[in-house]
Amino acid sequence: MSKRTTIDARGAFCPGPLMELIATLKLVQIGDEIDVLSSDKGSAIDIPAWVGKVKHEMVEIAEETDYWHIVVRKIK
Amino acid sequence: MTPTLFIILCSGEHEKIQMAAMTASVAAVSDRPVEVFVSMNALALFRKDFDRTHYEGGEFSKLMQERKVPDAIELFEQGKVLGDMKIYACSMAMDVAQIELGDLFGELVDDAGGLTKFLSDAESGQLIVF
Repeated sequence: MSKRTTIDARGAFCPGPLMELIATLKLVQIGDEIDVLSSDKGSAIDIPAWVGKVKHEMVEIAEETDYWHIVVRKIK
Repeated sequence: MTPTLFIILCSGEHEKIQMAAMTASVAAVSDRPVEVFVSMNALALFRKDFDRTHYEGGEFSKLMQERKVPDAIELFEQGKVLGDMKIYACSMAMDVAQIELGDLFGELVDDAGGLTKFLSDAESGQLIVF
């Protein structure tokens, strides 16, 4: 059963949200999802690019009023 | 495997140190091996007695410290823990400043190193200087 973990990285500057995502990816199981909440504009571009490069999977990216939900699934 | 990114960090300016730390850590966590050669004024940053609350820099440094951007040393630490990064302290700068390897953060600095070997290794990758 896959789980979803939320990381509230709002207020953190680049590359803080990415680093928090990567640290958390080490802790969760394959198939689990991580929902990164980020107010850093660059994360909405950088995190999907990183996910594509290292071959995890983007599940969803959604913009709220002043932050983004960036949902990533651990593949390997 | 992506070719190694080689970084020479010699400036003591906060802005350059921050950019080097961001570049090194993001590359390392993006499956790109990174080697950092630290020399000149940047060496002080890797001393155990370095005060992280007091970086020297210009206007942007003040802004970064006020707004609490990720600390440069912490970014290097994260890059090492989460990726493939090695940091070498320039043996010439250590001699001139009379710094021993034991004066530097052991968790950060892998070894003392010479510029000749670093440049030779860097022929196989890309080199950036800060």
